[in-house]
Amino acid sequence: MNSSMEPKQPLSEYQENLEILIQLPLFAGLPIEPLKVLAYLCKRETFKPGELIFHEHEVDTNAYYILEGKGALVTETNGETEYTEFGEREFIGSISLFCDIKRLFTLRAKTKVICLTLSREKFQKVLERFPEISTKMVEAILMGVHAWEERFLREHVQACDDCRKRIGVSLV
Amino acid sequence: MITKRPLIYWVKTSSVKLQVLLLGIIAVNIVARVFPLQMQRKIVNEAIGLKKINLLFLYCALYLAAVLIASGLKFAITAIQTYLGQETLSRLRKELYAHILTLPISFFRKASSGMVVSSLVTEVVSAGELVGQAIAVPVNNILTLLAFAGYMFYLNPLLAAISIGIYPIVIFVVPKLQKHSNIANKMRVDVTRDLSSKISETISGIHEVHGNASYRIENRKYGDFVDRLFKIRIVWNLYKQGIKALNNLFQNLGPFTLFVVGGYLAIQGRFDLGALVAFLSAYEKLYDPWKELMDFYQVYQDATTGYQRLMEYFDVAPEHAIEPPPDREPYELQGSIHTQDLSFAVAGGIQLLKQVNLDLKPGEQLALVGFSGSGKSTLAQCISQLYSYTGGSVLIDGKEVSQLTKKDLSHNMGIVAQSPYIFDGPIKENLCYSCEALLDDREADKQPKLPSLDEMIEVIQQVGLFVDVLRFGLNTVLVVDQKDELAAKIIRIRENFQDRFGGKLADYVEFFDETRYLNFSSVAANLTFGSPNREEFTQERLAENEYFLQFLDEAQLKRPLINLGRELATQFLDIFGDLPPDEVFFKESPIFVNELDDYKALMERIAHSRLHELSEQDQRLLLRLALRFIPGVHKMATLPEILRNLILEGRFLFMDKIQKDRPGALTFYRVSEYIYSQTILDNILFGKTTSDHPNAQDRINQSIIHLLIEEDLLERIVEIGMDFRVGTKGDRLSGGQRQKLAIARVFLKDPPILIMDEATSALDNASQKRIQTLLETKWKGKSTLISVVHRLDTIKGYDKVAVMKAGKILEMGPYQELLDKKGVLYELVHGAKAAA
Repeated sequence: MNSSMEPKQPLSEYQENLEILIQLPLFAGLPIEPLKVLAYLCKRETFKPGELIFHEHEVDTNAYYILEGKGALVTETNGETEYTEFGEREFIGSISLFCDIKRLFTLRAKTKVICLTLSREKFQKVLERFPEISTKMVEAILMGVHAWEERFLREHVQACDDCRKRIGVSLV
Repeated sequence: MITKRPLIYWVKTSSVKLQVLLLGIIAVNIVARVFPLQMQRKIVNEAIGLKKINLLFLYCALYLAAVLIASGLKFAITAIQTYLGQETLSRLRKELYAHILTLPISFFRKASSGMVVSSLVTEVVSAGELVGQAIAVPVNNILTLLAFAGYMFYLNPLLAAISIGIYPIVIFVVPKLQKHSNIANKMRVDVTRDLSSKISETISGIHEVHGNASYRIENRKYGDFVDRLFKIRIVWNLYKQGIKALNNLFQNLGPFTLFVVGGYLAIQGRFDLGALVAFLSAYEKLYDPWKELMDFYQVYQDATTGYQRLMEYFDVAPEHAIEPPPDREPYELQGSIHTQDLSFAVAGGIQLLKQVNLDLKPGEQLALVGFSGSGKSTLAQCISQLYSYTGGSVLIDGKEVSQLTKKDLSHNMGIVAQSPYIFDGPIKENLCYSCEALLDDREADKQPKLPSLDEMIEVIQQVGLFVDVLRFGLNTVLVVDQKDELAAKIIRIRENFQDRFGGKLADYVEFFDETRYLNFSSVAANLTFGSPNREEFTQERLAENEYFLQFLDEAQLKRPLINLGRELATQFLDIFGDLPPDEVFFKESPIFVNELDDYKALMERIAHSRLHELSEQDQRLLLRLALRFIPGVHKMATLPEILRNLILEGRFLFMDKIQKDRPGALTFYRVSEYIYSQTILDNILFGKTTSDHPNAQDRINQSIIHLLIEEDLLERIVEIGMDFRVGTKGDRLSGGQRQKLAIARVFLKDPPILIMDEATSALDNASQKRIQTLLETKWKGKSTLISVVHRLDTIKGYDKVAVMKAGKILEMGPYQELLDKKGVLYELVHGAKAAA
């Protein structure tokens, strides 16, 4: 993959997964034992260009880490609108690990997309064994929300009047 | 009610015949136990004293007979006692369980399931066993004591009085000591509890201990508890041992007085020697029954306090009768629902429902909407008797719900809970769960009918579970030979599939191809490339199959495969070695749940060994793992390129070899043959799917369903799928599948009242719409429906919509009417739209 060193034996998929998870902010600071189990339970999925990775209005219980390719985030109600793109090394959908939510967007593969997916069902099994990790993870998610709004305030609010009335997601 | 019964109740209600028989045996037994003493005396005095050989033989024979009878009877007593005890135990377990199931739901909010489990599994045991002993042990031992004592008095009243005189002192002193011992015991339990919470506190804060190097502080705190426990345990043990020692002392003092007084009397010639021997024996025999009585005393104390605590815990009355009175059939209701000032308060006076009034005619449909916490679910649960409302009334066909029995309700109401519970068993069984619950002990013609297969298929189609069940069917492995005509049809489908869809689905299927390594098949399948016709060539047996092992050697595969097995076990145990096992963790592992401990032990054993040092047995264990290894599924190891090529070469060597040596042992994968070791799906595909992602599954399903219909096999496969076992809590199903199954089982029951509490929350849009349409077409006017709704876009079709807030209905009426009024619903709908 992206390793520059030539290891003697190629890493197994599990070992690669583990290396990825360790670096994700969501899992930062978790002990290695639950991370190993999570890395083991992650699954790789391949999507062809045009295929939907998740679908607006539908419950999706997976979180995704994009290993390869690009996906477009769109909504389809009232005609298709494209918002942004997600690409390599981006991690999305962590809230789905904790609760049933219906997606507000559709993520469509623009190119061939390979993702690492983790389903809530499996994640919950890990939580049963390591209940203490949830606090840290919820913290990471909330910090993410907070950081997002902080950046949003700094970079965009000045330019957009409508946004000003709609801010406050970090105050939930 | 069971919890009000004293322990003695269980003794009274145990089999009277057996208890009487037991008493009879005890009576005979006591005679049989005293009799040898008398013989002893006669042997010494008459036979030996008067030198009469024939008398000696006669008495000895009688002695022997008495001893044999006594032992036999003793065994009979124990047997009956055990039977009574175990019979009571199972009765206690069943009745307590039946009682616990009927307890109000609020009870289970407080009670932990662990407590219920330990109550039913361990805590009832001592009480149950005590009942077995309750009559036999005291009666037997007291009577034996009395008999021996009586015999002693018969021999010499004075001596008897002197030697037995000690016992009243024991009876007086022991309970006092026991009381102290009990107090110490209670303290021990408390301190032990403190100690364990201290330990777990330290362990969870271990990083802090390391960070501060505060080992001394923690050791001191822990040490304090241990010291306290040390003192208490000493006191407790001293009391316990003290009781025993005291008991022993008194027991041993007996012979002392006997020798002094008896010896003196014998020398004086006022007491014959035989009598003294008999006396001593009698005295020694007092010890056993006495000790048993003492033990019984302790068991009795433990069991009664345990039993009381247990019963106190479950001493809650069920809120509703289960069965209607015997002279009344369960009501058949029309389904009109009327609530008048319905309110529901929980402890602390918090009102969850306030004066709710609503009126539904039979067949009307009501949607309950509102913010979470507004009381929608609570209202539904009060109407369905899951909660007992605290004020006002709920009338169904004019009958007060709180007065209806559970059976009345279950005959007339179907409930789909927010998170429905699915029980372990086949899909079919879960589908019929609600219908089967209506069956009872009455004659067959009065019983409701269980749904037929066609009805089941119809309902799973309606709720959108059909494709899932079909999938379960496709994933079934057929039993060899039994379904031959089915196999023939599947092969026809396979041919059509290859022609029509082979190219399109190549991305999702790895076809069985003789010339390529199969990443989604096991190493064993890659080597043999066939399905076994003989037991010893099944994949699981290959690691023990001498012929196959020899082949591995020849192909130079044995050593690398053992190495691979070791790698797999090492990786897996590194991840899961210390975790309690769970099915989910083993789905993608070559180690099965039940083998975890074996492999743990193996890896410890060989941790420092080289491959060539392993025993043959250990090698085979590792080989077994390697043969199961599927590179595309088991992600914790990789298959080195060189080994992959060796295996592929090995396949051809094996084919040649086995066709010569053991023709017919395997059937190679051929497009024209059914493969009995593979699932139906794999047979149709003639390969393995490479992804279980819904996208991939959908495409494969679409093409296969088509072909199945052409061969008229669709329903047959669905029927096979109905036997799919859903796992504990239905955990082999997805959340959506569980919800669909729960809806299906209520639809099958076809009740006049339906209560659905966010019953479609886990479903995708299409399924949700399908079920909504079904409710609006099939069920409208037929069943009264109260539906707690979380999404406002589904409520247009309801006859009435009730908007709730803070336990009250703010407004209620047809959807359009409420919207036109521009009230709360209008705000909700538009607010929701604005936010989206």
